[in-house]
Amino acid sequence: MKNIPNPLCRALSLLLLFSPLSLAPGQQEEPSLDSQEQLAIHRAVTIASPSVVRIETIGGLEQIGQLLLGDGPTSGVVVSADGYILSSAFNFVRQPTSILVTTPSGKRAAAKIVARDRSRMLVLLKVNSEESFPLPQLASRKELQVGQWAIAIGRTLSRDSANISVGIISATNRIWGKAIQTDGKISPVNYGGALVDIEGRVTGILVPLSPQGQSSELAGSEWYDSGIGFAIPITDVLPHLEKMKQGEDLHAGLLGITLKGSDIYADPPEIAAVQPKSPASEATLKAGDRITRIDGMEIVRHAQLKHALGPHYAGDKIRIEILREGKSISLEATLTDKLVPYELPFLGILPMRDGEPVTVRHLYKGGPAEAAGLQPGDRIVALHGEQLDSTEDLAIKISNLEIGSEVTLTILQQGATKQIAVTLGRLPGEIPASLPPARGAAPAGDAPATGIFEIKLPEEKNECRGYLPENYLATVPHGLLVWIHEPGTDEFDKLVTIWKATCQRDNLILLAPRSADPEKWDPTEVDVVRAMIDEAIGSYNIDPTRIVIQGRRAGGAIGYLTAFNHRDIIRGIVPIDVAIPRRTNLKPNDPVERLSIYAITPTASKLKPAIQARLKQLEQMKYPVHKVESADAEGRLDAGEREQLARWIDSLDKI
Amino acid sequence: MATSPPARSPRRFLGGLIAAGILLAVFSPPLPAQGLAGVSIKVQPKMVKIYGAGGIKGLESYQSGFLISKDGHILTVWSYVLDTEFITTILDDGRRFQAELVGADPRLEIAILKIDAEGLDFFDCSKAEELNVGSRILAFSNLYGVATGDEPTSVLHGVVAARTTLDARRGVFKTPYRGPVYVLDAITNNPGAAGGALTDHQGRLAGILGKELRNSLTNTWLNYSIPISQLNPAIDDIMAGKSRPRAVDEMAKRPARPHTLAGLGLVMVPDVLAKTPPYIDAVRRGSLAEKSGLRPDDLVLFVGDRLIPSCEALRNEISFIDQIDEVHLVIQRDDDLLDLVLPGR
Repeated sequence: MKNIPNPLCRALSLLLLFSPLSLAPGQQEEPSLDSQEQLAIHRAVTIASPSVVRIETIGGLEQIGQLLLGDGPTSGVVVSADGYILSSAFNFVRQPTSILVTTPSGKRAAAKIVARDRSRMLVLLKVNSEESFPLPQLASRKELQVGQWAIAIGRTLSRDSANISVGIISATNRIWGKAIQTDGKISPVNYGGALVDIEGRVTGILVPLSPQGQSSELAGSEWYDSGIGFAIPITDVLPHLEKMKQGEDLHAGLLGITLKGSDIYADPPEIAAVQPKSPASEATLKAGDRITRIDGMEIVRHAQLKHALGPHYAGDKIRIEILREGKSISLEATLTDKLVPYELPFLGILPMRDGEPVTVRHLYKGGPAEAAGLQPGDRIVALHGEQLDSTEDLAIKISNLEIGSEVTLTILQQGATKQIAVTLGRLPGEIPASLPPARGAAPAGDAPATGIFEIKLPEEKNECRGYLPENYLATVPHGLLVWIHEPGTDEFDKLVTIWKATCQRDNLILLAPRSADPEKWDPTEVDVVRAMIDEAIGSYNIDPTRIVIQGRRAGGAIGYLTAFNHRDIIRGIVPIDVAIPRRTNLKPNDPVERLSIYAITPTASKLKPAIQARLKQLEQMKYPVHKVESADAEGRLDAGEREQLARWIDSLDKI
Repeated sequence: MATSPPARSPRRFLGGLIAAGILLAVFSPPLPAQGLAGVSIKVQPKMVKIYGAGGIKGLESYQSGFLISKDGHILTVWSYVLDTEFITTILDDGRRFQAELVGADPRLEIAILKIDAEGLDFFDCSKAEELNVGSRILAFSNLYGVATGDEPTSVLHGVVAARTTLDARRGVFKTPYRGPVYVLDAITNNPGAAGGALTDHQGRLAGILGKELRNSLTNTWLNYSIPISQLNPAIDDIMAGKSRPRAVDEMAKRPARPHTLAGLGLVMVPDVLAKTPPYIDAVRRGSLAEKSGLRPDDLVLFVGDRLIPSCEALRNEISFIDQIDEVHLVIQRDDDLLDLVLPGR
């Protein structure tokens, strides 16, 4: 008795009395576990399936991207007797003209989308019908155990009865806490339908999901019938049902912090930056705080923080415990759906790249530092009385402040220590007309073989040549300019000819990878480009503030993808005659992973409207975008224009 | 779940289940429990591996079948694999036979082969099982040709996911078979699996595994099996040497003088998209459509029982209705669904 739950016994005895599946007299049948399970499954389906409704849609798109969409019936789950139905957003991605739901009496009634859950990719429908819809029994997520029966119920394959798939619960906490996982066959045949337990209680709404690309309705659908299926725990959504009934969409809850480090499974959740006007800044979180608990749950690594925040909606209140200077502090934050785009504040200086930190190399005309009386050659030694250890230290501290806020700097000016107040401004639109050298005489150091070098990655077909300036010294950090060749072209020799002098003057190394296929770049090659950059970083002394990717058309598209996929290292992108590819993951602007854009568009380019529209999007996201037009149809720069690009690269480390 | 359940002592099991146990004891005297291994041993001697034409352009030259008489009749699917004079069959014990084609029913996509052997173990088609949604199933087939010689065929387990018919909508399923099927919750329909046996969890025959088939309603692969009860008349006819009707061309069912949109008095919105929703743009004065109460801006949802997803689907669907017959429409007007009947002429 112990290992078989009571309700199962009840289910079995009832079924044996009444079910058509019960055994005919005279027929020999052993009471095998198989038979018992079959009866229990049958009963669970009988209990739950009236609450799973059939949805049909009319009109709308036939295809999205490469994916041909089906137009067959789909499924939904009753959540309110007066005709509210939860379903998967996947089922409505065609943007149908009309939605029909089959009512309990078998009629069809029109339905409308009332609200969406944009965090979990669900939609709430209201059916225009007077009929009473049968509510399912529910099982809370907390009761679920890996290994227990999980039956997926949909309404796609037959008008008269449900279609089912039988599996188990594979995991109870997936996709950053949003979903449960099952090995049942989850596909368009049951998306929007119910995942139920052996007692016929609904545990979740079936949806396609993938750990990446969570913002798309289609994400995860390529995993159909694979043994990896997801369901949104229904008890996580129901508390928000009233809000949705009012027509309010649900959004993922955002906090507004950037963490130090990039290995989410290893690095501790120490805050690198807090976005101004975000829930984090309102909760008085600060850079340097280390998050130890969220709502009582212990947090040791980035990934755990993602898990703790993942299930939360905008508007949810969370309790955050942090460690600040050895003391434990507890704070409360109310999550938001939208963060004010982060905009980098500007002090108005370019720092020297050698000598004592932080020596002023150049002052921006009309910039905040110049207005406050700073002069070239001055040293900034402290901010708000706190000693600065490095140029990077100053850059990070400034990036954590708000535009318009006042900072007190301690400076050394002509031997005298002074306190000055500077009001932080916005990044300048202009590129300085000339720049003084960024360093004095180079210290002695190893001088390896210079000139042309090659990078060949094992197992990759891509060719890549580079140029190391003849005055390279291992003691001097160099910028890296990566030219992504257009497929099938080889412009390396020309590139070296025109950039050689600049490379020597500005301490720049060139790198020029080519596509494996002379016909095209494959989007997966962004990781090959990344590996080549890593190879260069491993071999030479690379300045992390000046890694820039440049490319024309298909090369520029791969440049965009590489830059946005590898924000941790790439600081600038120079796209020529290309709009940002649609598939680019446009992450919000970030105080730590800075990225600036220098877009070159030929005056006669046919793509100009598309390029400008997409750049505008970046500007609205507060990315620093510098736009230039080129008279050359290929976007090739003349000597003066190239000199300006060189100064843009040379000033990427401005503060 | 994924493996056969452990053998249980019936006594211990019955002792646990009081109410159920008593009932079971009344209807079925306890027998030694037989696991799936036992079922497989019972079924495998009836399975046949079939080799024939193919082997080029990604077409496999093998499929599955099973014995349906002690004298060597084999039921399989009708396919290009059988389109050769040399059909080789290999029985479970490894014996190899040349088979002759007794006959086929292309409409049902089945064929019967005969080998020169006697005293074979076989499935009795007249005693086939009927399955319900949720019934546990086993699928025996030589999928991907992994079994060779005297190796037993592969066994997949699952449940019946749905019972449905393949004629739900024209053009949805590219197969001539238009009857009831079991949709299976197991990835059964892979290359070489067609013609395999679907049994219940005790190894009793219930269906024949179909070919690979894509469901255009969902753009997913459909794993299905045709119930033996649907095939019995055809099996009897083929074994008796009677000829079977040819495959029916769906399009041939079109009446000579069908309804047209113009004839009904309907003007639809301009058909500019791949799936332009079937909104009525105008209704001709004095037409059948106007008399039946149709109005501009009505959205046509159904003709008869068929969902109409686009203007093109509407044109196509009414071309199957003879002018003398009524046209039953369900339309959406604002949020209301209305049933309307346009009389025949």
